Amino acid sequence: MTAAREMRVGQRTDPFVIESVDPARIKTVAAILQDPTPIHLDAAATRLLGMGDSISAQGALNMTWFAEAAVRFAGGRERLVSFEVRFLDHVFGGERFECTGTVTAIDPDQGRVRLELLATSGGRPVLGGTAVVRTV
Amino acid sequence: MVDHYDLVGHRFPAGTYTLPEYVCWLWSDAAQLPPAYEAHPGLAHLIASNGLGVSVKEILELMGATTDDGVMFGEFGVEYHGTLRAGATYECDAEVTDVERKRGRRAGVFDKLSFEVTIREQGCDAPVAVCRNAWIFPRGDGDA
Repeated sequence: MTAAREMRVGQRTDPFVIESVDPARIKTVAAILQDPTPIHLDAAATRLLGMGDSISAQGALNMTWFAEAAVRFAGGRERLVSFEVRFLDHVFGGERFECTGTVTAIDPDQGRVRLELLATSGGRPVLGGTAVVRTV
Repeated sequence: MVDHYDLVGHRFPAGTYTLPEYVCWLWSDAAQLPPAYEAHPGLAHLIASNGLGVSVKEILELMGATTDDGVMFGEFGVEYHGTLRAGATYECDAEVTDVERKRGRRAGVFDKLSFEVTIREQGCDAPVAVCRNAWIFPRGDGDA
């Protein structure tokens, strides 16, 4: 990763992309979380609620992708200092998920960079928030 | 409409959670990331949820809600003071930090329950992570 001193406010991160959110893996997450919510398991439940024909990913999965976008920019999991995410909409199986960020503040003395991140899924905004990463 | 503001300061029973290596692997695989036996930072949520000492259903009951009420994640944040480790046992302390009544364009009237979970590796005083959660409880046509 580039050192904080060599970065600039407004710099864009590389997009973090899941080309197609896998419904089978959403079900694995439901098992790990012991989350029985039907919209994470059964497309009949999302259809019944008028939410479409695919199951919805859990917030915990979505925010893992959000964190991963910051981790990849930082160059390692241990460099993630903090993140805050707002859940704006559902992420559905089969959709393309993309998270991109912009550098909004740089502290070269502390070697920390603040990012504003926005994620879309199926073209809709689904997550928004910030992350702070260490660059050294 | 019941005002749940008196929950501010309420402490959850808290508990411990051991993060199994296989769960770390499964989590990475399920997230469509390169599978790894190391703990992804996103697993702070799983540790906090399991170490809270209460079930989701019990949190809903605290707010006078059920699984049919459309309760949603509103916000989530983590401050990391260390690195999460596969196989480690974590102790969690959790407290309600705020309850607000709001009105949103899409959600209508809702209550926002905020609570904070401090995660410490067993036997350590310093936290490894602090998680801030905000859950949204739709209240139909309640007073904003």
